[in-house]
Amino acid sequence: MKDINDPQKVQMKILKMTYLFSLLPIVSSLLAGEYDILFGFIFGLVIATLLLRLKYNNIIRALSMEEDSAEKFIRNRYFIEYALYFAVLFSAARNANLDFLAAAVGLFMIKFVVILWSVVDLLRDTFQSKFDEYK
Amino acid sequence: MVEFSPEVIDTVIRAAALLGAGFAMIAGIGPGIGQGYAAGKAVESVARDPEARGNIITTMLLGQAVAESTGIYSLVIAIVLIFTI
Repeated sequence: MKDINDPQKVQMKILKMTYLFSLLPIVSSLLAGEYDILFGFIFGLVIATLLLRLKYNNIIRALSMEEDSAEKFIRNRYFIEYALYFAVLFSAARNANLDFLAAAVGLFMIKFVVILWSVVDLLRDTFQSKFDEYK
Repeated sequence: MVEFSPEVIDTVIRAAALLGAGFAMIAGIGPGIGQGYAAGKAVESVARDPEARGNIITTMLLGQAVAESTGIYSLVIAIVLIFTI
């Protein structure tokens, strides 16, 4: 991931990996017939995807500003995104057709993938350097 | 020894859960301040080295996506406290 300098490509790669990892809970809940978990998870995942896109647009806008105004802009946008997260989780908690925890996990999937990817990169670097030392 | 009725105990538990939800929401403030600070520093870095813009945006995007996790954890805990207790 650190080798990719184009933010659009990184975004696409993160989304592809997230959808790939999401296939497991989606297929298993579909096979188990737990449709509220399925709908909750997909709901969370779709909102997380849209919010990642919104975050990217906000960052691009912030980089064309002055330092102080960029700081204020990103801070204010974070609280708007936080309100959106609240609306999503609140509607998942109130709606009987959506599982609350599945929606929360769907929201977190992108973050899990980013962390997992970073850990894999770190381990790869560590083993590569050990291997180079050994050679 | 003073004995409380079940209604009083339920009310106390409910009040404690709502108070806990309020305290949990304090954790939502930190990521906002941190993300704003990171954005300010990113602007400074892009001004210093415009060629590194792509790299800075990538790092910032990933950093901000992960940084807001703690805020959402607190939100999940708060909603669980409000709706399940």
